[in-house]
Amino acid sequence: MTDPANYVVAYEATDRGNEAIELGVALARLTAAELHICLVLPRSGAVPAKVPAGATEFDRLLELEAHIWLTSALARVPSDVVATTHLLWAESTSEGLLEAAAQFRSDRIVVGARREGLLNRFAIGSVANALLHASPVPVALAPRGYRAPKKISRITCAIGTRAGWRSLIESMVAISANLGVDLRFVTLVEVDAGGHRSTTDSAAHLDQVLEHFAGSSTATGKVTTEIAEGKSVEAAVEGLDWRDDEIAFVGSSRLARPSMIFLGITANRMLHVLPIPLVVVPAGEPN
Amino acid sequence: MAQPPSPAADSSGGTAVTTVGGLSTKGLSAGSIGLLGATVIGISCIAPAYTLTASLGPTAAAVGTQMPGIFLVGFLPMLLVALGYRELNNAMPDAGTSFTWATRAFGPWLGWMGGWGLIVATVVVLSNLAGVAVDFLYLLLAQITGDADLAALTENVLINITTCLVFIALACYVSYRGMETTKQVQYVLVGFQLLVLVWFSVAALTQVANSTAFDALAFDASWFNPFLVSSFSAFAAGVSLSIFIFWGWDVTLTMNEETKDPERTPGRAATLTVGVIFALYILVAVAVLMFSGIGSGEFGLGNEEIQGNVFAAIAGPVMGPFAILLSLAVLSSSAASLQSTFVGPARTMLAMGHYKAFPARFGTISVRHKSPAFATVMAGIVAWVFYAVMRVLSTDVLTDTILTLGMMICFYYGVTAFACVWFFRAEAFTGTRAFLLKFLAPLVGGVILTVIFATTVVDSMDPEYGSGSSIGGVGLVFILAMVLFASGIILMLVQRRLHPGFFTGKTLTKGTSLEQ
Repeated sequence: MTDPANYVVAYEATDRGNEAIELGVALARLTAAELHICLVLPRSGAVPAKVPAGATEFDRLLELEAHIWLTSALARVPSDVVATTHLLWAESTSEGLLEAAAQFRSDRIVVGARREGLLNRFAIGSVANALLHASPVPVALAPRGYRAPKKISRITCAIGTRAGWRSLIESMVAISANLGVDLRFVTLVEVDAGGHRSTTDSAAHLDQVLEHFAGSSTATGKVTTEIAEGKSVEAAVEGLDWRDDEIAFVGSSRLARPSMIFLGITANRMLHVLPIPLVVVPAGEPN
Repeated sequence: MAQPPSPAADSSGGTAVTTVGGLSTKGLSAGSIGLLGATVIGISCIAPAYTLTASLGPTAAAVGTQMPGIFLVGFLPMLLVALGYRELNNAMPDAGTSFTWATRAFGPWLGWMGGWGLIVATVVVLSNLAGVAVDFLYLLLAQITGDADLAALTENVLINITTCLVFIALACYVSYRGMETTKQVQYVLVGFQLLVLVWFSVAALTQVANSTAFDALAFDASWFNPFLVSSFSAFAAGVSLSIFIFWGWDVTLTMNEETKDPERTPGRAATLTVGVIFALYILVAVAVLMFSGIGSGEFGLGNEEIQGNVFAAIAGPVMGPFAILLSLAVLSSSAASLQSTFVGPARTMLAMGHYKAFPARFGTISVRHKSPAFATVMAGIVAWVFYAVMRVLSTDVLTDTILTLGMMICFYYGVTAFACVWFFRAEAFTGTRAFLLKFLAPLVGGVILTVIFATTVVDSMDPEYGSGSSIGGVGLVFILAMVLFASGIILMLVQRRLHPGFFTGKTLTKGTSLEQ
């Protein structure tokens, strides 16, 4: 991590963009990070039409409008958080955000996840979806209607037994460094789902996780573990208690290339029912 | 951090809005297009398969066998105006539309009308494109299923208008979402069009050679002499249509930023494009003349029934079972063109909304898709209403829209040409190059266009003009053109009264090339 940490916030002048700012603010307060609020504009290509499509003038007007949008974005950031705004031109929004994250050496990309018009809390929009399959840094997803709490009181880490869990732990160690925030490690167990895994296995795994975490953590808050059971991943998630001022962490699928995110099936299903923000952490470096 | 972002002054308020270092090279992806790519874009702009099917009939009706000659002559005013266009584009790269250029040169009133001319021309071509697409959709369905009755569905006014609405709505939606045709798709579409049109011509000439043509006409070199056209009116009508067939060619000349070698690529691409297009048009024109003749028989070019959409009628007799390929070529060409053509008027209306020349709503940009939201939807609605009205009023909607279109293009190209002359007046005599490109070429082009425009306006009063549709003894094309101009003037006066800012020079000022 760089010092101070900085996060790229994916902004557009919609509810979704505002939710990203809210989550950015919440995370910035937690870790004393700075926000780079980025608005990505599409780079126009040649439009083969009988009428010249006047891209230069249009782009200039678009830029003027974008500055107005960014001004209102900045107005949403409370005074206790440091934020700058940036205008980018790129082939696609996700590409622009990834470039910005690389340029600022950002620690995280914050994005409003929802797609407009659907009832699900997390019906992932195309930008978030693209990031969730390509980002080299963790991606934080804000749920529909999210508002930043004064202080995040707990971080829950949904952890599996697959090889990638250690990089997830490292990410937890990093974000909770020297903080008094509560930490909760949970494993999700699908019961009656064919390949049944006993809860004693899960408990043993959680002990291993705790041991690994305690080895390097500097967090001062309360650490708990929990095994969530349900007929499905969704039911297991809904069976847990969630605080309004809480965020969740989850790792990448084993399909992810090293140091890249690839949203796994379990994480994807979690997303659909989770009422709080979710941070997806890239797969670790190959050992 | 990698590098501190450089703060830049924000024009809209006190907050510091910065741009990210190297990422902010905004707009067009610079330097990505080579000669071949630029030529493909040029041909794609012209959309030859669509253009030919829409213009062969009306041109043959106007000038008969002199069609190849008229095609050659018709390029001249286009070339002259395009040269001026390029100079304006280089001098005012921040602008980009006839509206802004003409306003900078002539002030708000003529600038407004120049913008209006462009919007009207595009709205008319949108409806014609959609109309052609509808015809070919049902023809294609008939060819696929082998059920000839399906092709006749396009004759049903209600079905026709509804299908047209679907096409326009789809194209509108794609533009609204800010989606663009990828380069690969463009290459395929252009290659396919060229291939099928050459195939069509060779098939027609083969039939002529085998004496199986519909009404074989022996080739005559005099077809290339445009001055053998029977009257000046016919000549003017022919040239006006020829401007339509080259419409879009000028876009290649203004593709500076995107090309790998901005000094040379646009010029070379424009030359190559027009070379390919010339060869293709002459080949198709000669082949169609030799196959169909200019009589008014079933497949003759003089047959008013088929004039608005020639390929739909004669592709079958010429190509046999392979006519389906021509249907595909025209359908893909007109559908792609329909979608991309939405971008131009939408952006012009957006600019006019921004400068308060249009109601402010036209200046709305979609926050999600960053496209001119309101203007795009309005362009779609107006194009469809225009088509629906024309479909009911005219006996041959496609012919009449194309003739109206020729007039509108003459008008807004003419305004742009004179805008160029006037804008550069202070440096017109500062050197040979400036004199030729900034003064003489646009002036001559503008004068030619004015003459053509005036002649076609007067001629179109004749109730027999175009499809022969008329209202109260006056030709429909004339009434249409006048309604379009008059509504423009009325809208301009209303806007002047409600929001005078633009007209009093508060939003966009007049100037000459040396004052910048």
